[in-house]
Amino acid sequence: MKFDKDQLHMVLALLLVAVIAAALLGITDMFTREPIAQAQREALHRALVQVLPAHTNDPQADQLVIGSQADAVQIYPAKDERGRVTGLAWEVVAPDGYSGSIRILLGLKPDGKIQAIRVTDHRETPGLGDGIVRNMHWLASFFDKALVGTHWAVKKDGGDFDQFTGATITPRAVVGAVHDGLEFFRDHQQDILKAIEKADAERTAEEQGKGGQ
Amino acid sequence: MDRSEVFMDGFWHNNTIFAQLLGMCPLLGVTTSAENGFWMGAATVLVLLGSNLVVSLVRGMIPKNVRIPAYITIIAAFVTVVDMAMNAWMHEMYLTLGLFIPLIVVNCAILGRAEAFASKNTAFDSVIDAIGIGAGFTFALVLLGGVREVLGQGELFGFSVFGEGYPDVLMLILPPGAFIALGFILAGVNLINRSLQHRREARKDALSVGSEDKIAVEAL
Repeated sequence: MKFDKDQLHMVLALLLVAVIAAALLGITDMFTREPIAQAQREALHRALVQVLPAHTNDPQADQLVIGSQADAVQIYPAKDERGRVTGLAWEVVAPDGYSGSIRILLGLKPDGKIQAIRVTDHRETPGLGDGIVRNMHWLASFFDKALVGTHWAVKKDGGDFDQFTGATITPRAVVGAVHDGLEFFRDHQQDILKAIEKADAERTAEEQGKGGQ
Repeated sequence: MDRSEVFMDGFWHNNTIFAQLLGMCPLLGVTTSAENGFWMGAATVLVLLGSNLVVSLVRGMIPKNVRIPAYITIIAAFVTVVDMAMNAWMHEMYLTLGLFIPLIVVNCAILGRAEAFASKNTAFDSVIDAIGIGAGFTFALVLLGGVREVLGQGELFGFSVFGEGYPDVLMLILPPGAFIALGFILAGVNLINRSLQHRREARKDALSVGSEDKIAVEAL
């Protein structure tokens, strides 16, 4: 096969452009990787402080993974200075938002009742569905709610939670996801507690090991 | 062309939004507030600067029939750089603008400048053009975002304008509001352009009348 000069020129020009673009992206990635991870940690930290009861540990440092790889859930435990668990938080996803899925950080107290919820990511309509972020009164209505004794639906569907004027789909999705999150806690409570105990035991062993050296 | 002319051409006479009506997707998608409009505009300016500069530097080196894929690759690289930088250092705004940042790649206004200007002009002129076009685009986004924020929520840059009791006008916050507000803004721009033209013609008339008088005086 024979290339004429023009074809070779075209291939080389495109190759060169692609190589330079790739290099530029590689360099940018090098500089932004750590700040991006840091920004994400900080965003999660701000949300965790809002949904967890008072704690003295770093819930992100103490995070546990429950379940197998495909549907693993990261649990962020809150502990006081004596190491007692004062609350748990994890992310639940509502796949049925008005536009795409809604990610919600759900914080529980040790008795299994809700401390607070915060929406961490959504694409809902500004001015309508985004009330799930801005409407503090609505967010506060989740406080102290438990799986049992609460009608987990919006009022339009005969439940306990307000919908917004002109937006029912968004709050309905959030209420549903929080309900599923509470069911997950009911089903996996023992696993979570065991995992926390195990992590604590490992840490104690490690510290004793260090002390012995 | 004079440099200030290059700038003014991009900023006003050939404005991406007011004159060319290009880049409607980010314009209508993110302008629910003046601040969103401003940062979307700023991201676009950075991409435009990078792509115009590089395209003008490599002009003549890229064979004509592969220029479009080459320009798109250059633009996509700069968009990704801006995307990563915003993710790292402006995390909250990054989450707000979301998908619209990667979508700058397909903003035809940017490919349009690479094709129509940067591929035919010097690097310096192309940078001036990018600043003019970018400033004009940002101005349009902030203007539309500001109008929708003030009338829709009674706020500007997050500060209350009409006080607490202002009822949210949902129509303006939702996508149809963007079209309606843009229609009124375009009408306003056309009014300004027409009065500018009238003034220019009036001046021209005055000049020609003046020269006729002169001839008449000389004839006497």
